[in-house]
Amino acid sequence: MAKLNVTISADPRIDMMKFATMAKVREEAIQAAPAKEVSGVFPINENAKALHPDYLDLVVDSIIDRGEAQAKTFVLRRKDGAPLPYFRAGQYISLKLPLEGSFVTRSYSLCCSPKAALEGKYAITVRANPGGFAADRLLAGLKVGDPVISSGPQGFFYYEKLRDAKHVVGLAGGSGITPFLSLAEAIRDGVENFSLTLLFGSRDEKNILFREELDEIARVCPKFKVVHVLSEEEKEGFEYGFITAELIKKYAPEGEEFSVYLCGPEAMYRFLKPEIEKLGLPERLFRRKLIDVTKTPWDCEGYPQEARGRSFTILVRQGPQEWTIPASADEPVLVAVERAGIKAPSRCRAGECGWCRSRLLSGTVFIPQDNEMRRWADVHYGYIHPCCSFPTSDLTLEVPGEFF
Amino acid sequence: MPKYDIVVVGAGNAGMSAALQCQLLGLKTLLIEKHNLPGGAATSFVRGRFEIDPSLHELCDYGPADNPGDVRTMMADYGVKANFIEVGECFRCVSTYRDGTPMDVTMPAGIEAFIDKMEFYVPGSREKMTQLFDLFQEVLDGIAYITASRGNPDKAVLGTTYANMLKTGAYSTQEVFDALELPERCQDILSTYWSYLGVDMEHLAFIHYAAMVHKYTSRGAYILKHTSHELATAMVERFRELGGDVWFNCRAEEFLFRGEHCCGVRTNMGVVDCNYVLANINPDIIYGTMMPKELVPEREKKLSAARDRKIGGRMYTAYFCLDCTAEELGIHDYTIFLPGTADSPTEYDNIMKGMKYNNFSIFNCYNIANPECSPPGTCLCGFTTFGSPVDWNDLKQEDYFRFKEEGIDKLLANLKEKLGFDLSGHIEEIEICSPWTFARYLGVPEGGVYGYEPRDWDGMMARMQMIAYDYPIKGLRPIGAAGPRGDGYAASMICGRLMALNALLDLKKWKEEGGKA
Repeated sequence: MAKLNVTISADPRIDMMKFATMAKVREEAIQAAPAKEVSGVFPINENAKALHPDYLDLVVDSIIDRGEAQAKTFVLRRKDGAPLPYFRAGQYISLKLPLEGSFVTRSYSLCCSPKAALEGKYAITVRANPGGFAADRLLAGLKVGDPVISSGPQGFFYYEKLRDAKHVVGLAGGSGITPFLSLAEAIRDGVENFSLTLLFGSRDEKNILFREELDEIARVCPKFKVVHVLSEEEKEGFEYGFITAELIKKYAPEGEEFSVYLCGPEAMYRFLKPEIEKLGLPERLFRRKLIDVTKTPWDCEGYPQEARGRSFTILVRQGPQEWTIPASADEPVLVAVERAGIKAPSRCRAGECGWCRSRLLSGTVFIPQDNEMRRWADVHYGYIHPCCSFPTSDLTLEVPGEFF
Repeated sequence: MPKYDIVVVGAGNAGMSAALQCQLLGLKTLLIEKHNLPGGAATSFVRGRFEIDPSLHELCDYGPADNPGDVRTMMADYGVKANFIEVGECFRCVSTYRDGTPMDVTMPAGIEAFIDKMEFYVPGSREKMTQLFDLFQEVLDGIAYITASRGNPDKAVLGTTYANMLKTGAYSTQEVFDALELPERCQDILSTYWSYLGVDMEHLAFIHYAAMVHKYTSRGAYILKHTSHELATAMVERFRELGGDVWFNCRAEEFLFRGEHCCGVRTNMGVVDCNYVLANINPDIIYGTMMPKELVPEREKKLSAARDRKIGGRMYTAYFCLDCTAEELGIHDYTIFLPGTADSPTEYDNIMKGMKYNNFSIFNCYNIANPECSPPGTCLCGFTTFGSPVDWNDLKQEDYFRFKEEGIDKLLANLKEKLGFDLSGHIEEIEICSPWTFARYLGVPEGGVYGYEPRDWDGMMARMQMIAYDYPIKGLRPIGAAGPRGDGYAASMICGRLMALNALLDLKKWKEEGGKA
């Protein structure tokens, strides 16, 4: 090894003895300090915790019946009415519902202005979903004063000025209107600053959810416009039929770049996919709110048809605990886990948030391409998102713990 | 509930390394992690069609097979396999020399190439630069010697073999540069790396700086082909293979003691009994919120007070998934440092004054080093700067989203002005992480990922010399960036391993003294 020449040792500024005293100098600095209690509390960390809590213990503050639109808006608050975490218009909360011995997760877009959170209120709207498990039980059973466990606000369906065009064309179907009501209110309240033209598909006029609210915002706020598109009723003042590329072009701003946001039921996604392709938008100008995983996995490309309808067994491990539970090939793994009453994490139920990430120790699953959003290493090492993985054999699954 | 020899709390870089080492030593080890995936900062997230590594720019100390660094050796010892990619050049820095002249330099990896390039930018610097790199080498060897001695080096060996390390070890980088009479522009270019340690050149111990720069230049920098999550998952899966248990979404709430000996952890998944805990958690958080106050030793209270919350590296970052290639934007460099000036104390002060004054950023384009990191026709870029409590302590939630966006907007404007890169109109996905994000995700004080600033009296060498004094709690050692080796993936992994070895010795001693298993 080449040795340093003598320049350094000849320099009066360098004192070789200093090295030997480093520990002593440090100890002196430590001993000179007061032995006060360590607080461990930091404002930045407290802010972060307040904005992103593990869970929120809420109660139903009031209920608005939406009549013929067959929905109810549940206004939620903390027991003591304190402010709730602020959110970005378009985000959702994920409820943990103790239904019939299960802990079922359901995500609902917040359908209120972010300003409501400062006043301690969140609003969600649940629409009747015949044959569905959670919605109808909530509509029939959830009363004012009832407790509700919720995640903090989640999701990426929000306006981002560094990314999105200044004008957004929103495409909503059915209960997919909820995040748009929040976005419209946020524009009205000056929380967001962009123009929103909303094409809202409903069956008929009496079925339009938030009709008055939307029309009122459009009346007072020049940046918001709503066009009602009725599929089963032809009527003056309404568009008739389905939302198509033609209709989008009709209402989109001319000669100006615009983003398209989509939120609606699965059938609407399937119908609109080729329509949106016709617009030739770059991917960055198209955003969609992911919906629940398909209920008909056997219609998806690559599904192993021989699995359909079969029953399987899942050995579930969580920390030191273990359960053996039944599962159906026709439902996501998460549903089987929830039905068994196991508290397992999940939030978006669409494969996007990764909250339910679990380790598949043995067995095989089918994952629809639309919901395949796993990390590379998770695919490589056998981690799955149970919310959108359908069992195609017996499984051994290790699920993470929970915090509620 | 099974009982464990060791519970490692937190599957960050230090925790994963510690858990692997413990399991290899034959200790029955449980690794618990409060998130549903391992890694801590060594992680990734998915947005649309992109997977993004939020933290790793340049893994120090991996090195090529014929010149392996500590991390490569450690991974080989642990039996961990992952796809590492060499980054290539060291850095480009676009700034202003202290003499006021504009600076735009690109420094290659490899010691000779680095010195050659410095000669090109600063003619006549070769001799001094060669001396400097010789000194770096000696410092590195000296640190390896002290680490191997676990804090108990033979003073005679130090005095003879590592005399130059002794001479410079107690001084700041600036003091050593001045003593060496390095040309000022040389100093300015060399100062670029200060931000990786978060302490300006006047307060950054030379020994710490020397070790890092030598490793980067001699061994090159590395990243993971499939993000740091690949490395984290590979480490955790290897740990399981060796017989270790891992529980995700398992958060330590409190450390439990029998007398003065830590003997368990209370978690959201129940109480876990054990004989020893290695906690990948900042000591202030442990002492202040996770153990009985009366058991916090006086000296640890004083140490905490002396450090006075000098937290390093409160990260403020943004990630851009762009719908065009790097080539189309004219980006050819992997890492571009964009400090306001080469005067690091001024930069540091401006950062601490908040975003109004902060002109510092690092711009990365991941595709330059890893062309397949995003889908064809796209690229992934990111900004890194530092936040200050001035901005983030009292910020209201309702102003938060706008504020964090405005700061990044300013950096984007700076990028366009200084380098001509215009990202607007190409952003397909964007994520901005503030000190709040890092505080929440990593649980570190103020979102500081560098632990305590390794400055002045609390530098790396001083900490290393005092390992025997800094861990007075029986059965519990904090590990991670706040430890003796400071921040960074490599340093944290080394710290985890070092503390695992110490834990084994502690356990032996404890059992000899009649400690009940």
